[in-house]
Amino acid sequence: MESSATDSDAPDLVCQLDNVQGMVDALTAVRWKRNQDAVIEISEHGIVVIVEEMSCLQAKVYLQSELFIRYEYGEQGRPRFGVSLGLFVDCLNTFSVPGHSSTIEIRYPGPDMQLLLKSVDSLDAGIYAEIRTRIPDTISWDYNFEPAGSTPLTFTTSALKEAIDDLDWPGSSIQITVQPDPPSVTFRGDGHGDLQIDFVYYSNADLLIAFHCDRQVSYRYKYKFLRATTSNIPGSVIRDNRGSKLTIGRGGLLKVQHLVSVARTSTSHQQIDSAGHQNPSRIAYIEFFVKPEEDEDTADD
Amino acid sequence: MKFKAFLTENGVNLLEKRFLPALDKMGKICHLYLTRDHSIFLHNLLNGDGIQSVAQFRREALFDDYRISSQNEDRIAFAVDVSLLHRALRSSVSICTEFGNGPTANRLQIKLVKKLPSNSTQPMPFLTFETKGFKSAVIQDVPISKPLSRAQLLELQTALDAAQDLPPTLVQVPDLNQLQSFVDRMKHVGDLLDVSITKYGDLHMQISTTLITLGAEFRKLLVIGEQADAPADDRNLSAQARSSRAVLRGDAQSVQVSVKHFAKSLCYYLAKPDCAFYGIAPQGACLTVIFQFFIPGSRQMDKSISLHCRLPVLDPGSS
Repeated sequence: MESSATDSDAPDLVCQLDNVQGMVDALTAVRWKRNQDAVIEISEHGIVVIVEEMSCLQAKVYLQSELFIRYEYGEQGRPRFGVSLGLFVDCLNTFSVPGHSSTIEIRYPGPDMQLLLKSVDSLDAGIYAEIRTRIPDTISWDYNFEPAGSTPLTFTTSALKEAIDDLDWPGSSIQITVQPDPPSVTFRGDGHGDLQIDFVYYSNADLLIAFHCDRQVSYRYKYKFLRATTSNIPGSVIRDNRGSKLTIGRGGLLKVQHLVSVARTSTSHQQIDSAGHQNPSRIAYIEFFVKPEEDEDTADD
Repeated sequence: MKFKAFLTENGVNLLEKRFLPALDKMGKICHLYLTRDHSIFLHNLLNGDGIQSVAQFRREALFDDYRISSQNEDRIAFAVDVSLLHRALRSSVSICTEFGNGPTANRLQIKLVKKLPSNSTQPMPFLTFETKGFKSAVIQDVPISKPLSRAQLLELQTALDAAQDLPPTLVQVPDLNQLQSFVDRMKHVGDLLDVSITKYGDLHMQISTTLITLGAEFRKLLVIGEQADAPADDRNLSAQARSSRAVLRGDAQSVQVSVKHFAKSLCYYLAKPDCAFYGIAPQGACLTVIFQFFIPGSRQMDKSISLHCRLPVLDPGSS
């Protein structure tokens, strides 16, 4: 055990990241509102950023320790603190210089419990930031997500985003039905008029990449929450096209997962590891959880 | 009161491609002040609290066959809408190049006229662009304000003279584009920017709100004017500590300006300056940005063009 004297000197976390833009992209994907509070959880495995709304919608961004070029975590527990997500993203964004790979160092906590950021590229030019943190006032819900019957469906990210964007027109609530025969996924919106979008596995294999379903599952979700799962995905992530997974879990809990590359964007050979391909571990995971509407009685679960 | 001149090819290029787009970003309306030797575009010199900007061209930089006369020592000044001026010039240029045969056959004349607009009984002043095509002539009238009176012109000249003082220390910004993209992103975080400039060649900028402090420090920049050697024991300090110690030592000045103003001043990269210098005027009166232009193909300063702006200080600062 370390003495308390060194405890006060050494921060819990010191980490360095060489692709700030990747982190900006990942966090932008969960920024569905202008003023949003996020809870950041730190452990030896990495950093998790959690955003919630009305305990109906939750998003988590997992930045595993492997994404960082240096990751030193000195504590045993999992410190949690709150920050303004918008401010955090805007601040990170100033560190990202277009056409220039920038390395930043993140430290927590600072002398006044701040989150400290600084650029470490150059001796003669430097950017630094101190972000005030808060003690989080709520415990974020942990869903213990269990798959039920139909997991997982993999869409191309753009197809899923387009479908959900199109459902904006009927709005209000959207019914998602997954059925084994014929293997298909249906999004149906009833509001101002109705709109139904079918993805039939065999005929839309370029949009719906993977499908597995044992029995029919059907739930309704509030459109505004469903929309949040894809509305802010950055264009670079859509072009990257790593696919998005949609899973309906027990009780109708919907999980939407996206992958965001946090590898170095430069074309230099540094991004290629010794095996000659891009390091697969440098992916940030983004998960959204959406609770179904409660007056649901058509569910077959 | 008469003004008539032909724009040179170089003058057209300077105005159309570089300066008018930049000046348009600074503000919609500017004063155009014409003298026997100079044409000067002025923003916010007479009124107000915005950025003061002065873009000055020697007569030969823009015109040939230049004729000006007025009862006020051949000086004329009026207010004009920069975007209209830019539009008129752009379309005149396109006509010129479309029908032109040979470099001198087609020239762009610019003159001051008074005309009776179609639905008015009073003649109004215009700046007119006249292009002679193959079989036709195209005339574009840009409306301008009534020329400034003798008293107003004196006021403008006084303000212009006052805007010429140089800061004692100027530092050269290494990469204008990079600084611009940085400040554009910084804008989202806060409204007030603390800028300090040291005699060691450090430029330190910081936004500070209750939730966040975000700053950038550029060191070892080229210094013009008063300079000093950086103390060796400052090397391991934080940027904030370094600049506040320099201010205490009397080796730096610090002022607070609006982030929006700072970002606007960087829009002058559109005029394609070859270098830019930042400095703080004595007593922290303003933050001055001076842009320099080289004679094409050389590293020699082109003295026929000068561009600078002065950002109002929101807080007298710590110096």
